[in-house]
Amino acid sequence: MPAELIRILIGLVAVAVSVGLIGLVMVWVERKVAGHVQRRPGPYEVGPYGLLQPLADALKLVGKQLFMPDNADPILFWLAPVLSFLPVLLLFLPLPLGDGLFTLDVNLGLLLILAFSGLAVLSLLLGGWASNNKYGLLGAARAVAQSVAYEIPLLLSVLAVAFVSGSLDLATVVKEQGTWPWNWNIMTQPLAFLIYIVSALGETNRAPFDLPEAESELTAGFHTEYSGMGFGLFFLAEYANMVVVCSVATVLFLGGWHGPVLPGPVWFVLKVSLLMLLLVFFRWTYPRVRFDQLLNINWKWLMPLAVANLMLTAFFVKLAQYAVVKM
Amino acid sequence: MEQMAKVAFGIYTLIILSGSILAVSAKSLVRAMVGLIATLLGVAGMYMLLNSPFLALMQILIYVGAVCVLIFFAIMLTRADAGGEEAASAPLRQNLLALLAVTTVGGILSWLLLTRPLITTGVPVEVAIEKLGLGLLGPYGLAFELISVVLLVSMAGAVLLAWERRNGK
Repeated sequence: MPAELIRILIGLVAVAVSVGLIGLVMVWVERKVAGHVQRRPGPYEVGPYGLLQPLADALKLVGKQLFMPDNADPILFWLAPVLSFLPVLLLFLPLPLGDGLFTLDVNLGLLLILAFSGLAVLSLLLGGWASNNKYGLLGAARAVAQSVAYEIPLLLSVLAVAFVSGSLDLATVVKEQGTWPWNWNIMTQPLAFLIYIVSALGETNRAPFDLPEAESELTAGFHTEYSGMGFGLFFLAEYANMVVVCSVATVLFLGGWHGPVLPGPVWFVLKVSLLMLLLVFFRWTYPRVRFDQLLNINWKWLMPLAVANLMLTAFFVKLAQYAVVKM
Repeated sequence: MEQMAKVAFGIYTLIILSGSILAVSAKSLVRAMVGLIATLLGVAGMYMLLNSPFLALMQILIYVGAVCVLIFFAIMLTRADAGGEEAASAPLRQNLLALLAVTTVGGILSWLLLTRPLITTGVPVEVAIEKLGLGLLGPYGLAFELISVVLLVSMAGAVLLAWERRNGK
């Protein structure tokens, strides 16, 4: 067997294991943060500090019966959760955790992540539509409008960084940045970072932009009819998508594996965990926006700002090239 | 390696063929869209086999990620269910015309391919993105702009169709 194939196999197994573990840890973190924000202790019965609670939850989910509503489309109904989870495994492959520490060596890593993350929306739509349930359909309708809108500023902000680095290869983007925080891309592209984080919240359907599954309005939105691991896969995919979004932010804006003293992969994991914690804090701090507000933020603020930022970046990149040629 | 490429070609062809058959024969519009998605993914695989990963990823990003989502939006707005009048099988005349259209386009294309042998290389060469961009804005600029006109025409056509329908009722 060729060495590359073995590398991909090992990488896939590692990714699958870590996605499961991250899912468990994130459920615990989320419930603890939610508890303390709302002045209650959160889970504390199962294990020390309630650490084993997510494991118990997961076992319960696995043990539950899988239901399908009457008149639902059976193929599409079961295709949706699988389709939401499978591409996620692929998204982790080009992420560089350290110098040379990645699974798939592609010079278009950024594009690969952007392309395959689009499949998540599709699975959400199919799930909502195939459930034959009005809440599911409403959730799917919201998901379409939201994801189509938020994908544009996300792409534009990512493109600004690609302009500065002159590459779509994640490892190259990291190598262009330095050890110290003032050498990172966030210093030259602060606006792009802000736009990226906001539209990433919109793309991953995290509160305050969790309109497709708004519990207080739509029961559970697109996954209302899913039980057991059907729901579990959607849930796991959401957390995995969060990790991918935070990792890409780390690579593009926060210097990837660069950092003083500690070894590279440690810095990478540290930065990603901090960003994840930030997203969890967002969820429990801000109330959910209304749907018209959600679209107004995007079309009236994020889009024009992202376009202006991109044009300015292009202008300055060209100016710098011109200056180099002149000298 | 060549053996593997042939196997991959076979798999992609199978995906494309079965997807397109599902897309035109499914009663439910959403299932037809899933067939279309499978076809588009298969075509992306073909691009990958031709050693142009940029094109393959763009195919997925734009066609699967954006165009299909918009098609889904249109399906949801029209609320077309599998039991509606549009789902009934088409009359014989329409089927014959469809067959004629398919054979005309397919016939011309295959005649061209068979009579004018292409200049091909044994192993596909990867073209850098810079070269691709310069080509699109330079020597192939006119063709690139003409493709956008096609998009404009289709948009105008959609508006025209919707307009006439509303006036008729």
